[in-house]
Amino acid sequence: MATQLIQCPVCKNTITIAGEPGEKIFLTCPQCNQKGTFIIPDQKSATTIRTNSATIEVKGLTKSYNHFTAVNNVSFTVKKGEIFGFLGPNGAGKTTTIKALLDLIHADTGTITINGIDIRSHGKEAKKYIGYMPEKVAFYDNLTALQNLRFYGEIKHASKEECIHLIEEFGLGDTGKKRVGKFSKGMVQRLGMARAVLANPPILILDEPSGGLDPRGVVLIRDKILEMKKKGTTIFVSSHILSEIQEICDRVGIINKGVLVAQDTVEGLSKKLNLKPQITVTLDSMSAKIENAVKKLPGVSSVKTQGNMLEIVCDGAMKATVILAITNAGGNIQNLQTKEPSLEDVFMRYTEV
Amino acid sequence: MQTNVVTSIAKKEIMDNIRNKWIILVAAMFAILTLVVSYFGSLATSGWQDLGITISGMTQLGSFLISIVAFMLGYATIIGEIERGSMCSLLSLSANRFEIVVGKFLGLAAVLCLTILVGYGVAGIVIAFNVSNVDYLEYLIFIGLTMVFGLVFLTVALFFSTVFSKRSTALGGAIFLWFLFNIILPIVFVGLLATTIDFTTMTMESQLIAPDWYHVLNLFNPISVYSTLIVSTIGPVQSSTGSGFIPNPSWYSTGLLMFVLFMWIIVFFILAIWRFQRKDI
Repeated sequence: MATQLIQCPVCKNTITIAGEPGEKIFLTCPQCNQKGTFIIPDQKSATTIRTNSATIEVKGLTKSYNHFTAVNNVSFTVKKGEIFGFLGPNGAGKTTTIKALLDLIHADTGTITINGIDIRSHGKEAKKYIGYMPEKVAFYDNLTALQNLRFYGEIKHASKEECIHLIEEFGLGDTGKKRVGKFSKGMVQRLGMARAVLANPPILILDEPSGGLDPRGVVLIRDKILEMKKKGTTIFVSSHILSEIQEICDRVGIINKGVLVAQDTVEGLSKKLNLKPQITVTLDSMSAKIENAVKKLPGVSSVKTQGNMLEIVCDGAMKATVILAITNAGGNIQNLQTKEPSLEDVFMRYTEV
Repeated sequence: MQTNVVTSIAKKEIMDNIRNKWIILVAAMFAILTLVVSYFGSLATSGWQDLGITISGMTQLGSFLISIVAFMLGYATIIGEIERGSMCSLLSLSANRFEIVVGKFLGLAAVLCLTILVGYGVAGIVIAFNVSNVDYLEYLIFIGLTMVFGLVFLTVALFFSTVFSKRSTALGGAIFLWFLFNIILPIVFVGLLATTIDFTTMTMESQLIAPDWYHVLNLFNPISVYSTLIVSTIGPVQSSTGSGFIPNPSWYSTGLLMFVLFMWIIVFFILAIWRFQRKDI
């Protein structure tokens, strides 16, 4: 009999559980009534679990194909319960990194740990914590949605009821006996997300989860990601939809040409790059006097004129000074918009050739 | 190895393949042709011992069609899933590569054995209706040996499915292997044999005694091993072999031939696991 201390992902209450190695325990948190399952690790793997605040830890990951280095000395950590966005242009090494996280490819050097468990030496144990949605979602075409999900559910110890519930939740309840081979791309994508969240994994790895989805599908997936975060799930997500990443992620990592060039919060990266907000002022009429008045202000990085519009890049705190300078120069402001530096600005700067 | 993982994968393979229209088509063709051969063969016979030619015909037909079914089942089992993308999801689960290969093999083996059982089973029923004293045990042994033979081709296909990096190449490889074992190797071996024999000294009645190297070479073709095994094990086929056949050497025993077939299965199964363990997905 082995005992294990676990923490409730919702209220962080510490619960002691006991059972045989490999045994699946169904439990309810006595404090917040959150329901969940836990598998007692076997003796061999139990010794490999280290106390670690990082759920995913990658150190010095390098992977080459022939003479091409797809990922070069990449290191990052994803903390428990956070959403980490992983960005990069096409061919930057995102999918290679994700495949290494799942031990789908054999890295040349480096270590990857999932909840402190080395993925290379204890892959089977480490993967118990992971739910994964690949970029190219694929199922067994001759089987129905439920048959497909039941297959994965059996391996992940998820019940038939949970599979049915997820199929309903992802709007596939009416597919019945229709084979997955006849599904639309969006339907397959939604079923892919259902598979990833099957059995409530503590870690979700999502590679382009919104690709090929209609706006309703995008919202469905985003809401599910946020719901999983509320449950305490650690989420690693790669996406090309930067606005979405900015909206949901706590931190981001940017990979370019196989090198992780940045990792921080969006605000942190903006500060590092000294990115400033852009103020767009629409005037009744434009004059050289107004333009010069703004240009002379300290803290103003650039001023562009487009008809009756002024695009000013300056420190965030300069907004009032800019307005004052314009009105003092005889300008009559009709409209004023402020755009904070976006993830897109950060991304473009870090990945520029 | 976790049995629930292996059984889940095996179960999925069975469900997936019994819905595959190509597998159904070839299996149906096999059953119908076997039925035709067994029906017309058994019409003209009065007892089990007269069925030699019929069982020989079924064996010939089986070696052609069962190798096709086995290759069709196995050639894309690994590379097909990698190419489609479902292997990534499968490997992201708490399932290791060994369990995946074992599960897939067991599932496909079940589908293959079921095909053989249906094909030869129906033929057996037809024979039983037309022939009075059928030796069911020998007929079951015949079905069993055919299953082992089918598994040889399945493991060969499984291995090549881990070798190729494209499904289309794997299909080409499977077609080549089918021709290799069914046509090329027998022609090459007989060709080599012909170069060493002085036909001018032979009469119509004399039996062709092949040198040992020819029999050793034949052990490298599972189709030859299977045919020899049927001839030496199944009574009616044994009694129907005439002077046209090259007699088997004394060191060809049922045990040796079975050992060779099982070695094919074991070696290619180990190679498949070894190759898949090292493959980047």
